[in-house]
Amino acid sequence: MSQQMLADKIGVTRQTVFAIEKDKYSPSLEVAFKISNVFEIPLEEVFTYD
Amino acid sequence: MGLSNKEKSLIISLIVTLLIFGWYFFGVFSNVTATSSEQLGFNDVIRVIFLIAILEGIIAWFFQKKGEADLVDERDKLIDTKSYRNSYWTLCIGVWFILMQLLFEASGPWSNAYHTLVFTSPIYIAHLLLLFFVLSEVIHFSTQLYHYRRGI
Repeated sequence: MSQQMLADKIGVTRQTVFAIEKDKYSPSLEVAFKISNVFEIPLEEVFTYD
Repeated sequence: MGLSNKEKSLIISLIVTLLIFGWYFFGVFSNVTATSSEQLGFNDVIRVIFLIAILEGIIAWFFQKKGEADLVDERDKLIDTKSYRNSYWTLCIGVWFILMQLLFEASGPWSNAYHTLVFTSPIYIAHLLLLFFVLSEVIHFSTQLYHYRRGI
């Protein structure tokens, strides 16, 4: 899935998806849950706390 | 990842603001000892503000036309909030600085001597206030750019 496709599905910009991937931005819970819903995997598998 | 349209627009706005107001304030502060009729005055301020408004309009129009939907998400709002906070503090410092200067002039023990200084003239105070407005705008653009590039 491209960054743009994911961005469209969760309602953010492509730059924000890029920033999340590069660990330059911690998304809100709402966006985090939307991402886990898109990939249909639990939240803790998408995000980990360092 | 290269620069986004938003970052490009911010960089150009920052450069335009720095160039135009840099040139303007260089003219103002390198000429503080001039008589009031020789100093840059109200008309010059209006001209510069019009010029900036027109250029900012062109920049906004250009990047809007270039595409990339102007979706504003939570990250943009957070960056905007942080940059406005920094901009607000810059403006506060400026206003307090000018306020203290005016109070000092009005009631300080050296107020008589202070009145003879060119720095207390109304046009100079107005320019100083404008300088802090511009500085706060520059801080606003710079903070946004910093967070877009370095993360938040």
